[in-house]
Amino acid sequence: MRLDSLSEMQVDALRECGSIGAGHAATALSQLVGHPISIDVPTLEVVGIGDVPELFGGPEVLVAAVHVRLLGDLGGSMLFMAERKSALALVDLMRSRAVGSVRTYGADEEALVTHVASILMSAYLAAIGRLADVSMLPARPSSALDMAGALMEAVTSAAAMHADVALFLRTRFHDADTSVDAYMFFLPDPDSLEVLLGRLGVA
Amino acid sequence: MIGNRLEAATFDGGADPNHIIVGVGEIACAEDPQVLITQALGSCIGLTLWDPRLRLGGMAHVMLPASPGGDFTGRRHRFADLAVPELVEQMVDAGAGRHRLIAKIAGGASMFKGESGMDSIGGRNAAAVLEQLEKCGLLVRAADTGGSHARTIELHLDTGILLVRSYSYGMREI
Repeated sequence: MRLDSLSEMQVDALRECGSIGAGHAATALSQLVGHPISIDVPTLEVVGIGDVPELFGGPEVLVAAVHVRLLGDLGGSMLFMAERKSALALVDLMRSRAVGSVRTYGADEEALVTHVASILMSAYLAAIGRLADVSMLPARPSSALDMAGALMEAVTSAAAMHADVALFLRTRFHDADTSVDAYMFFLPDPDSLEVLLGRLGVA
Repeated sequence: MIGNRLEAATFDGGADPNHIIVGVGEIACAEDPQVLITQALGSCIGLTLWDPRLRLGGMAHVMLPASPGGDFTGRRHRFADLAVPELVEQMVDAGAGRHRLIAKIAGGASMFKGESGMDSIGGRNAAAVLEQLEKCGLLVRAADTGGSHARTIELHLDTGILLVRSYSYGMREI
């Protein structure tokens, strides 16, 4: 599967997939935090590995991230990322406190963000699963707080074996004053992308 | 506890022409007063070579341990088995003495805690780079590998010092 030679129809189909997944995830997030969360129009990006570390505002930006490998009919990864400040705002909303209350991103905060991220990912995957009639199950989530570039690179390295490009479906979640500004990336493995496109009728 | 600031770096965002950024899957050679930099190493390995007599240095940013053979496209130097011998050759071609080369490595972390499968890539990368260096007749003088934190590295060609910066441990010289 050549990621850099997708037809316009395939790109549209994937983007539609991303929109449906993102819509469900945003609804789940709004319900969780009891606060309206909107999404931007999801984007499909095919990026050279050299540019992957730049995808999140620069290689050294400090971000909270949650990563999940996918099991089932399709293989791939989901990655949730937010700048530290934004992850802390999410924690405050989850605890029904004013944004700015929590100042340290410790083990409890990391566990809470991981928990929220897994719910969002499940909502996203379930929606795509229904649309394309595939089963995708999230494996156990793992988390980190570190440089955005290194985290992105770790997630894409396995897919870089045969080609040096990676395909992302990117969703941005934010609230009205962008105190929460988080991103979710869906990265189907190259082989699985072919299966997904087949199920969507645009192989 | 991770701080929310990285210690000030030499790198100023690309304004200084002496700062050479080595991207993912790239190799580069340079000489004093240039500084070789690679940012945000996760499971990748940054390999540096330095010739103290000529103050000549090289850096590779390796992403995977071994090339799949034949069937791949794109940057060939993302694989340890292709990048390491090539970097050594380029250094020798630039005039460096093979026996004088001082090799150092950094990176090879498992970025996500408690994950099976993916977290072994960092360790395998480190092992592959060491193996390739040995094939070229070189031993590693210093290493800062493993753990679960990202690293940015700078090779200063006047002193051969490899500066390793991270959110977790601040600044380290190896």
